[in-house]
Amino acid sequence: MPEAVQRELTFAQAVREALAEEMRRDSRVCIFGEDVAEAGTPFKVLSGLVEEFGTERVIDTPISEAGFTGLGVGAAMTGLRPVVDIMFGDFITLTMDQMVNQAAKVHYMSGGKWKVPMVMRTTLGATRRSAAQHSQSLHAWFSHVPGLKVVLPSTPYDAKGLLKTAIRDENPVVFFEDKMMYKLKGPVPAEDYTIPFGVADVKRAGDDITLVATSSMVQVALGAATLLDEVGISAEVIDPRTTWPLDEKTLIESAKKTSRVIVVDEGYGRYGVTAEIASVIAEGAFYDLDAPVKRMGAMHVPIPFSPVLEDVTVPTEHTVFEAARALCRRS
Amino acid sequence: MSEFPTENAGWRPPPTIMAISVVMPALEMAQESGKLVAWRKKEGESVTKGETLLEIETDKAVMEIEAPGDGVLAGVKVQEGAVVPVGQTIAWIVRPGEVPPPETSPSESGRRMDAVPARPATASSKIAQTPDMQGGRISPKARRLARERGVDIRSLRGSGPDGAILTEDVLAAAESPQQPSSPKAETLGPVARLMAERTTQSWTTVPHFFVVREIDAGALNQARERLGPAIEKAHGLRPTHTDLLVALLGRVLPKHPRMNASWTGDTIRLNPQVNVAIAMAVEDGVVAAVIPDTDKLEVGAIAVQRRDVTERARAGRLRPADIAGATFTISNLGMYRVDAFSAIITPPQAAILAVGSIADRVVPVTGQPGIRPMMTLTLSCDHRVVDGARAALFLNDLADALREPEKWLR
Repeated sequence: MPEAVQRELTFAQAVREALAEEMRRDSRVCIFGEDVAEAGTPFKVLSGLVEEFGTERVIDTPISEAGFTGLGVGAAMTGLRPVVDIMFGDFITLTMDQMVNQAAKVHYMSGGKWKVPMVMRTTLGATRRSAAQHSQSLHAWFSHVPGLKVVLPSTPYDAKGLLKTAIRDENPVVFFEDKMMYKLKGPVPAEDYTIPFGVADVKRAGDDITLVATSSMVQVALGAATLLDEVGISAEVIDPRTTWPLDEKTLIESAKKTSRVIVVDEGYGRYGVTAEIASVIAEGAFYDLDAPVKRMGAMHVPIPFSPVLEDVTVPTEHTVFEAARALCRRS
Repeated sequence: MSEFPTENAGWRPPPTIMAISVVMPALEMAQESGKLVAWRKKEGESVTKGETLLEIETDKAVMEIEAPGDGVLAGVKVQEGAVVPVGQTIAWIVRPGEVPPPETSPSESGRRMDAVPARPATASSKIAQTPDMQGGRISPKARRLARERGVDIRSLRGSGPDGAILTEDVLAAAESPQQPSSPKAETLGPVARLMAERTTQSWTTVPHFFVVREIDAGALNQARERLGPAIEKAHGLRPTHTDLLVALLGRVLPKHPRMNASWTGDTIRLNPQVNVAIAMAVEDGVVAAVIPDTDKLEVGAIAVQRRDVTERARAGRLRPADIAGATFTISNLGMYRVDAFSAIITPPQAAILAVGSIADRVVPVTGQPGIRPMMTLTLSCDHRVVDGARAALFLNDLADALREPEKWLR
């Protein structure tokens, strides 16, 4: 990050700025989705865009995720660079055929004649008291499919740089935003910049344990690292930033350095992103590990509406801190 | 990612299996394991029945093992240097093109033993180094570091959860000057281990007593001078003092059956044969090679046999027959300038004769001080088999024989 940066934006503002800059730069960039125009989405991420770019480029769609995602795929194939907005990540279930069987396959099956330079923006994350159908983190689903790139920004700075890279990519990219993070502030340069996919970011350097964290869990891991510092444990926090492509090298090198790893991701633990990353580390750093790689994710339950119950289904600063301390404990 | 055993996927057992198993043989009573010293044939090579197939080292000797049938050596499971329980299949002899039977197939030859644990006989055995600790665990990193830095993890106490050995434990041990594994421990070879076991057993269970006699060795020297050239002409080597002593023992022992007897635990067995064994130093201990039917052999034949077994002993290639069936042992440290010493009996033998060096001493000769080549014989006896008087009578006869060796050896 350039040192001169002083300006701070919220995560939502950073996303909006990336979209606005790209829409100014490239007239093919347009937005489809529910309540994206005048409403600016329920999270107010897109406020102001329709005023600048008009309803020709910021298009409110009917409530039909399968329909307007297909619209996006077709528009991308025929020359636009649409950014499709899926309000809650839980609704990606409705878009699966368009994303998995069309967007992800077209470039391959047309022998390179067609491409789908489309971005799907959607959300993840619990603790918003939105109950079981509006609180899931389903990014593992798309990470599983060849042909899709999956981006998980964790800071306003990363959000802007990664979204620009996503819009400029010639292939379909799914961009997951933590809906609880939209108000998070952080430094964001006013100028144009991009962040390459497949390059993990060391959010905090440390020696005793590596906390690999994605999206919403990066801030949790950083909080845990601060608590760990107080008990003399130096934690390194690594954010892969994209689950595919995945920066295996940085993950393995950090694991080799610290010998202990916890992978924290808000998706379901079972068969999830944590499983994949833990496996990459176990294979790549086995002979440098001093403890089993620990995974922390959402509890394997429908996310409860009850605030008390919801809060215990996802990792927190304190649960990560306790897990890290246990992993580093000497008997 | 699962790995299917694709190699055998197309294999079907042939209608008739001729495969003959090659098993780790039991060459001695109570032998539990053997070390595979060398394969003389390679996997895939043709062998004929009776050809030397491999070399095995047991507690006592290295020996060659013959192929049990004709065919092609296949399915070699045991590499050189490995210690294998007796009865375990170590390879197969198959028809050309035939595939060795799967693991579970019962062996067709060799002694089967039930779950005989392989003794971790040598430090070089990989199994012995595997840190299968009692209840303890070790992290992959700690294990790798221990290997790289030569830390014996069996000596470590883990500081991790449930006592797991972690990196810091290994590093601390590697940096500690008093690492438990650092004093140089000599690993015992089979000979040394056997020597330790047998001498301890003998010294702690056999009631030893010792009878000593000084002998004028002048006649022995003369006999060696006089007999030497003829024996050299016939056999190509001159007899040593030991050869002459062995020959004389062969003549005297038949007159003293108790000296040639064995303690069986509750009875005394009088051995029909006289088999004198010669204790000899080898690299890591002492072995006693037998000259069978000593009483029936000329000095020259004894010398030839003694040379053969000495060479085999030094090469570590004694056969079981070379060390089996001794009824009496002689140990000569004369060449090491030892005046006299007491030897430990090799059970179940009744006695062992310890021979010191021949040195000029001032002794009375017909009432006057004279200088004679003197030699001290010390006879160690098992008091359960012989008593002092019998031992003295035997030593007396031996002294007589040494006064007139040529008469006894005629």
